[in-house]
Amino acid sequence: MNVHYDEQQLDALRELASIGSGTAATALAQMLGRPVELAVPRALALPLADALDAVGEPDAMIASVVMPVGGDAEIVVLLLFSYPGAASLCELLGVEPRSELGDSALGEIGNILGASAVGALAQMTGLALEPQPPHVVYDMLGAVVASVLSATAGELDLALVLDAELDVEGAACGLSFLLLPTAGGVAELLGRLDLDPVPPTQK
Amino acid sequence: MGELAVSATADDELVSMGLGSCVGVALVDRDGAIAGLAHVMLPTANAAYSAPAKFADRAVPALLASTERLGARRERMVAVLAGGAQMFGGNARTAGVAGLDLGARNEAAVRTALAEAGIPVRAAATGGDRGRTVRVRVGEARVSVKEAGGVEVSLWHPYIAADDLVEIS
Repeated sequence: MNVHYDEQQLDALRELASIGSGTAATALAQMLGRPVELAVPRALALPLADALDAVGEPDAMIASVVMPVGGDAEIVVLLLFSYPGAASLCELLGVEPRSELGDSALGEIGNILGASAVGALAQMTGLALEPQPPHVVYDMLGAVVASVLSATAGELDLALVLDAELDVEGAACGLSFLLLPTAGGVAELLGRLDLDPVPPTQK
Repeated sequence: MGELAVSATADDELVSMGLGSCVGVALVDRDGAIAGLAHVMLPTANAAYSAPAKFADRAVPALLASTERLGARRERMVAVLAGGAQMFGGNARTAGVAGLDLGARNEAAVRTALAEAGIPVRAAATGGDRGRTVRVRVGEARVSVKEAGGVEVSLWHPYIAADDLVEIS
């Protein structure tokens, strides 16, 4: 199935990504008591095979938090950490990395960041969005991202990736924050922003 | 992801990196040094659009046709599978987004399509909750798999004894 997002729609999605990840960065800063820098958020509409490459090296081992969001629009919130990044984040929080407590802390970061980003999207769009419990997974980046994209992109050959980099000041821990809506989810988000295809001149 | 590759060049290596719920389907001609690998994402296609390798029910015939075009013979073909993991625990399916548990359904659909094509599955590293990378060395007709955080192990090659067949899951 072919879908296409025009520049105006991608701009609006970029704006959503920016607000969502900005809210997440604020939540992370509050949690850690340190400034968190947000690198330029992207909204990418890519062929599936390219979407994976855009996120990173498929066989790199990463720590991840996967949080499905249901309700009016289906979205998967995905946090990706390098192993050292996840370890230093755990240390900042005073828990042992790769322990039960460490995993639960990462899950909680996913929960707080995801829920705050999704809350901001819900407020902007008026959609009812329901974050579900997060899963912490240590695995190959490709295995995590492709499994999520199989669920969100489904039969479409185009994946929509909204992502941003969050860097914690004075600590070697960054994370990638991704919002991966299903095709239906994208339509819901755009619909609420009045961006069903209307020529720009009429706006 | 959703792609397919075939080769009859001995030095070639076909690789699918980071298979999670996706299934890597390797077809190997036992004698011919001809092989193919498809990266299947979903069990069945609902319509005739998009890349055939993405869907189990269309990837298997497409892979078979592509290897046969290079001279592979169906009666000499064997299949080796890797992937089909359940990455996010058993409850993910009910939790908001459908399709986060596709692994087992992908594997079942691939096995059905292979059975319909009359191609035996001679080795598999499937299921579980770990990602995998699968490699096919065309010249040796050897298939190997590496689990996330693990070491590369040989899954199948033409001189493997029948009672040594590997089934990792």
